[in-house]
Amino acid sequence: MKDIARQNMSIKVESMDLLNGQIKMEAHASAIYLAMASWCEQNGFFTSAKFFYKQTEEERGHMMKIFQFLVDVGGNPISPEVKNINHDYSSIVDVFETTLEHEVAVTKSIHNIVLKARELGDITTERFLDWFVLEQVEEENTIRDILDMIEVTGTEGVGLQMIDNKVNDWME
Amino acid sequence: MKVVYKSEFYTLYQSKKDRYHYLDMGQKTVRLSFCQLLALRHKVLSIPIENHFDSYSNQHGFEVLMLCNKEHLFVLNTLEVLDLKNLVENSLSAMGVSSKSVLLLQ
Repeated sequence: MKDIARQNMSIKVESMDLLNGQIKMEAHASAIYLAMASWCEQNGFFTSAKFFYKQTEEERGHMMKIFQFLVDVGGNPISPEVKNINHDYSSIVDVFETTLEHEVAVTKSIHNIVLKARELGDITTERFLDWFVLEQVEEENTIRDILDMIEVTGTEGVGLQMIDNKVNDWME
Repeated sequence: MKVVYKSEFYTLYQSKKDRYHYLDMGQKTVRLSFCQLLALRHKVLSIPIENHFDSYSNQHGFEVLMLCNKEHLFVLNTLEVLDLKNLVENSLSAMGVSSKSVLLLQ
């Protein structure tokens, strides 16, 4: 008898569930960065706002990459529901620290899916996530560098204006 | 047709002739493509069963389930929902696309 399930889907359903969870996490990140862009616009950090507009597009790109992968392997991608987006930050430092925390959480989640895929023998999913593992190294490094720059510059006097201008260096 | 998995109330079959699964729901049998089976799994596993024990969240303990692009409509009670959760999880395990094997109801 034909193995209809395997003919229709190339990955395990557990991997599909975890990837759908990751789709939700990327959508949430995209929404959070949009909220941060809004905060930056309202508080005069216009270059940082542009940085977060770019980040919000990037996170959506990550989400769509996973979504398309699930389509390609015959899975069931779920359009995520996004809620509970924080719009309140105490300072620009708080914004970037929260960003780093979020990127670390995304990295942990990606690593968790890789480990689970390895446990399941789901090589397809494991190899697909190689790109995300390296992308997260870059994402975390960018935010760490910005936080280092903030520390060196300081937030006194014209420091805040300089910080906002310097964020442009990470917008390539 | 070959039985993929049989639970207390439902049976999932795989056809030997076409590329479809057939779900015997008691009142009627539903023809499902594999995509529709995955969609059914998502819908069934998304049902918050704890709400059935909370008279504010789900006063009557019923769920309305629409399948195959709204072609079929079922009203299920708590035991039937649990049994259907059991069936979808174990069916995919029996098909070899899931390593999870569960027993929610006996």
